Amino acid sequence: MASRDFVYKKFSEFYSSPSTVIPKISMIGQREIGFLLFKEHVMLRHKSFESTSSLKRFLGETVPSDVYHSCAYYENPEAEMNKKIWLGADLVFDIDADHIPTPCNKIHDEWTCNKCGFGGKGVTPDACPICGGQKFETKTWACELCLKTAKEETAKLLNILEQDFGFSLQELHVFFSGHRGYHVQIEKETIKTLDAMARKEIVDYVSGLGLAILEDETKDNTRRQRHKISFSLHDFGWHKRLKLGLQNFVMNATKDDLNNAGVKVNYKVFSENREILLKRCIEENRWSSVRGIGITTWKKLAKHVKDLESAKIDTVVTTDIHRLIRMNGTLHGKTGLLKVGFPANRLENFDPLKEAVAFKEGTAKISVSEAPEFRLGDDTLGPYKNQTVELPTAAAVLLICKGRAEVVQ
Amino acid sequence: MEMTKARFTQTDLAKYPFLKETAMLVKQLDLKIEELTNPDIAAILNRAEERVREAIMSLSVGEKREADVEIPSFPVALLLVINTKNSFIKKRYALAEAKQAFVDMQTESSEKILLIARDFDWNIELTRFSTMPLEFAISFTDYLRNTTHLRDKKWKLVNRLLVNGKVYLNKQDVARLLQEEVQRRIEKRLEVTELPVLPEKIAEITKRLLELAKEKIGQEEMEGLPKVVTQSAFPPCILALYEAASKGRHLSHVGRFTLTSFLVNIGMPPEKVAELFKSFSDYNERLTRYQIEHIAGERGSRTRYTPPRCVTLQTHGVCVNPDVLCRRVSHPLSYYKRKQKQLSSNLPKSN
Repeated sequence: MASRDFVYKKFSEFYSSPSTVIPKISMIGQREIGFLLFKEHVMLRHKSFESTSSLKRFLGETVPSDVYHSCAYYENPEAEMNKKIWLGADLVFDIDADHIPTPCNKIHDEWTCNKCGFGGKGVTPDACPICGGQKFETKTWACELCLKTAKEETAKLLNILEQDFGFSLQELHVFFSGHRGYHVQIEKETIKTLDAMARKEIVDYVSGLGLAILEDETKDNTRRQRHKISFSLHDFGWHKRLKLGLQNFVMNATKDDLNNAGVKVNYKVFSENREILLKRCIEENRWSSVRGIGITTWKKLAKHVKDLESAKIDTVVTTDIHRLIRMNGTLHGKTGLLKVGFPANRLENFDPLKEAVAFKEGTAKISVSEAPEFRLGDDTLGPYKNQTVELPTAAAVLLICKGRAEVVQ
Repeated sequence: MEMTKARFTQTDLAKYPFLKETAMLVKQLDLKIEELTNPDIAAILNRAEERVREAIMSLSVGEKREADVEIPSFPVALLLVINTKNSFIKKRYALAEAKQAFVDMQTESSEKILLIARDFDWNIELTRFSTMPLEFAISFTDYLRNTTHLRDKKWKLVNRLLVNGKVYLNKQDVARLLQEEVQRRIEKRLEVTELPVLPEKIAEITKRLLELAKEKIGQEEMEGLPKVVTQSAFPPCILALYEAASKGRHLSHVGRFTLTSFLVNIGMPPEKVAELFKSFSDYNERLTRYQIEHIAGERGSRTRYTPPRCVTLQTHGVCVNPDVLCRRVSHPLSYYKRKQKQLSSNLPKSN
């Protein structure tokens, strides 16, 4: 309990401090605001605030562990759901390492079955291998690889939104979520009133879902026949993306890459013919120019490239036109880190573990059960196992929030 | 962006009476409702009724007249449709006008298409002088608003040329999307519930139109069909088809369509209907399923087809052994509905 009190106190100090500024939120008066309360651990919803300054006062008094606002605009944001009167919603994308396969394989995550207590490390299974239970207690961690992967997916998303959908970099508001993901938010008159179906089409586009060119056959409704899809790539939209991806793959693929793509091709033939594959096949759509690498192989490669080039977003978030999303400039209850916004063109150099740090002063003595080596700000810390250490406040809050440490009094 | 000098002509406005400009023109005419029955403008009222009648019967709007009749006949037709307070007629009329517009638009010049699209506030331009292979560029939001409920995969955004916020389309595709806009605009105009007091003659027309709609879709559809399938209430023609199908005997195209659409309309699930055709020598599960779902309105145009009327069945030799009840109905579905009522109320059978 002392640990939670400690975190509560830190959050309280943060929200009460005059130097804390909640960045402006457009049309805040029209949005629903929601909070997760520290003590009661319940969700407080359907709130509304005139300005970020009145909201900040409320945060100082109430001290929630998490703060959200709706992507939607309402006539009556405080009314119950069916009386709110939906006016429109921002277009939002959520990229979360939770939903993406990462090179670390989430080996730092721990799960425990709620039913039988069995547990393990890595990605949480769908069902407990011992008792079949489907509810788990999890202890997650955001390692550099998780964050890097999420950032790469965000870069792909931004590229599609800019090149294909024509949004300018200024229109693409990018945020680090405060945990292990990124949010991209677009506030624009033309997209505000898109319904869930239209947003689903955008999701499918970003994910490369339903690309007819990658299907084996198609139905011709007028002739009531199925026929093979001719595989031919042009220079626009997804076709261009596939083309560039294939070029990139052909130029650089190793034997392992070919295996990973699931194609059975003689690597020697492949690597000796890279020139022809690039020019005659990809450039001129003459796909059968190299013996042993036929149309079936190309289609498999194209599917593989599609998986590489598509952005792995959380599809539910984008299609939900009433969604609550974490508020910019507020603390994440699972990390004590901030959700922070930054210009889209800074993505590559953005350092979440530095720029999202909220507690920059003081230290705290904590007893750590287990923590991998990690970096926060300029400090590299850990690994720790069953030891008492004095750490910078931000690191102490992180470990406590992650359930890996207790405060020592 | 290319500037276009094209304007709508009188003929255009007659062809596309849903345009904003037409509405203004009609306003200028200052047509009074009381005057609708005036013999001088009887032609307008007649044409208006024809529009709706053709829509109900064949999803078309009939032959075009001179602009001075054609243009005002559209708002009058809307009035007639609203006055029926019937959702089937409303939907059908909006669809018929939209389909007609689609057909007409395909032969229009690109500039005209642009003009029509801008009447719907589309962000659209011609790409004639760029390197793009397709002629039109529209904003992806306008595209999505008009395609998300179209089923064919070719309409999925992912399969389109999307560059810098613009979807590139050919003329036919633009016309198809505009069809959706037209339908929505007309449906919206039909949402009105409050009407001024209408002359007696209008009430008569309304009655006629409602009768026609009942005939077209079978009274059952209008009043809601009971969900249980009662084989003993099948009309003789359907019974003959049904038995032939169960025994795997060959059915004509019209016969198959009649049987399928009948069964789908009385609430038999498509899977069940498909089973019926299993014993056919040329049975193809996928194709059969597809056709049944199409007829059921779960695919393609999303219109649920109804069986042909009795007169049509007679023409195609599907009508066999008509009984007494047959003489009192003009549609196999009406027969079914009435017979079912008789059976359930234990009244003496009429045959």
